[in-house]
Amino acid sequence: MELLPLQPYIIRALLGVFLISLNASIAGSFTVFRNVSFLVAGASHSALAGAALFILLGSMGMPEINPIVGGLIFALIVAISAGYTRKEDINTVIGISFAMSMSLAVLLISMIREYSSRVWTLLIGDIYLLTQHDIYLMVGVTAFNITLILMFYRAFLFISFDFEGAEAFGLNARLYNYVLLSIIALSSVILLKGVGAILVFAMLVAPAAASNEVARNIREVFLFSFLIALLSGLGGIAVSFFVDVSPGAFASLLATLTYFFILSLRRLSGKVQI
Amino acid sequence: MVKEEGIIAENLFFRYSNFPVLSNISFEIKKGEFVAITGPNGSGKTTLLKLILGILQPESGKITIYGHDSSEREQIQAITGFMPQREHISSGFPILVRDVMMMGISARKRLKKLSEEDEEIAIKALEAVGMNEEFLNRKFDRLSGGQKQRVLFARAIAVEPEILLLDEPFNGVDIPSQNRMLDTVMELRRKGKTVIIVVHNINPLLHHIDKLMLLRNRLIACGRIEEVLTEQNLRKAYGASIPIIYCEEGFGHPVYGDTH
Ligand SMILES: Nc1ncnc2c1ncn2[C@@H]1O[C@H](COP(=O)(O)OP(=O)(O)OP(=O)(O)O)[C@@H](O)[C@H]1O
Ligand SMILES: [Mg+2]
Repeated sequence: MELLPLQPYIIRALLGVFLISLNASIAGSFTVFRNVSFLVAGASHSALAGAALFILLGSMGMPEINPIVGGLIFALIVAISAGYTRKEDINTVIGISFAMSMSLAVLLISMIREYSSRVWTLLIGDIYLLTQHDIYLMVGVTAFNITLILMFYRAFLFISFDFEGAEAFGLNARLYNYVLLSIIALSSVILLKGVGAILVFAMLVAPAAASNEVARNIREVFLFSFLIALLSGLGGIAVSFFVDVSPGAFASLLATLTYFFILSLRRLSGKVQI
Repeated sequence: MVKEEGIIAENLFFRYSNFPVLSNISFEIKKGEFVAITGPNGSGKTTLLKLILGILQPESGKITIYGHDSSEREQIQAITGFMPQREHISSGFPILVRDVMMMGISARKRLKKLSEEDEEIAIKALEAVGMNEEFLNRKFDRLSGGQKQRVLFARAIAVEPEILLLDEPFNGVDIPSQNRMLDTVMELRRKGKTVIIVVHNINPLLHHIDKLMLLRNRLIACGRIEEVLTEQNLRKAYGASIPIIYCEEGFGHPVYGDTH
């Protein structure tokens, strides 16, 4: 029993939580700044179709590739279409890609019945099922995203604040927008295996949205969202030691409750001031 | 010898999807002129600024900016400073005035690392609009509407542009701050910079501008104030009669709003 925390699968789960929190911090915050939270839901669900396709191809004798890679490709397509769309239509486009991917996913699942549980796993997620390969993929994508955000931080901030201004001051705003939306989409997919498509939104957006309410500057948004996601994730894992519940679901519950807690606290303090 | 070219537009035509916004637009703005653009909502004022900035390209016609064709975006944007309309800004996150000020400066440096000097530049620009260093650490979102406008104005002048484009800079700005902004504009003009300003109320500017453009998807009139501000032109632009009152210095001031 004492050795339980040293089990490889637990170490992988803890690493997974850490990586998820990094994504919740950088990609989550920019999701809130750029006001594209729907993209997170769209990308993660579209990724299911991509993953299902890769599982199908694998079952047909193609070389086995991690289905998450298929998910990454589909999510990128959603991000690029969203970037291509006018701001007013963006939610519709994402919503329809969402619906299209889900239909495709269900269709594909019905074609690969014997493997369909693998796809459903991605819908619900399980942090304890992360493989070594999943962790490598998560580390790779997270490092890639962090590098891009460090390089283009000011550009991303600028296009989130005023797109036209960014264009006018000589930034290739459209290109940066594609890159930023892609980062957000990639991060969404990276969370898939750990928390499941249904709950990606909770883990990626809720911590940043909560931080955004209380932070005094951008740095604090990054820091607080990392901490909220980390503590929620660890909380989920801790609880799952004692009770047989899904750690991802519990973590998402903690993260979303934090958001509502902070929101009501703010409303309350606002009322007191008046 | 290189001809001293300002901004020359010939027969511009522009539309978003299938809705024509600007047609038949021709004008010339000389280097160092102070020009105001006015016209009703949706008349294409912001769109015209974007054409000048090279953000949008005309579907037909031609516009050159200091000798650069509008497709030479990089060259144009290296010499322009822009203040967007406040409605086009989304600041629902704790971005600091410092971050906002650094946007333009950083974009100019192609996102290279910022230095102490850059902060000095930002502070100087803020001082020009009557704000000081302390504002750097204030949340942009918590500023009043007028203060926000002043920061956006400061951001535009911080890059020391040759051409300054201001989209409704005075909306919600108190009179002393308006005057300070106007003083800054006049100083830039003395240094030979070109200033183009979109306004709804032309009155505070009448004594300062060299040229006025009255726009309603086409150019109703363009030129010296007294040529442009006629009741007939105003009726063409706004579809309503706007009386003009002449001040002691002989400028015709349109009287907007309910005059009953
Ligand atoms: N990105 C866009 N896509 C489609 N139509 C647009 C777009 N931007 C502006 N328009 C339309 O073009 C017309 C001119 O818009 P513009 O913003 O240039 O007007 P404006 O003169 O600046 O108005 P306002 O005084 O309200 O700022 C409007 O009818 C507007 O609805
Ligand atoms: Mg406008």
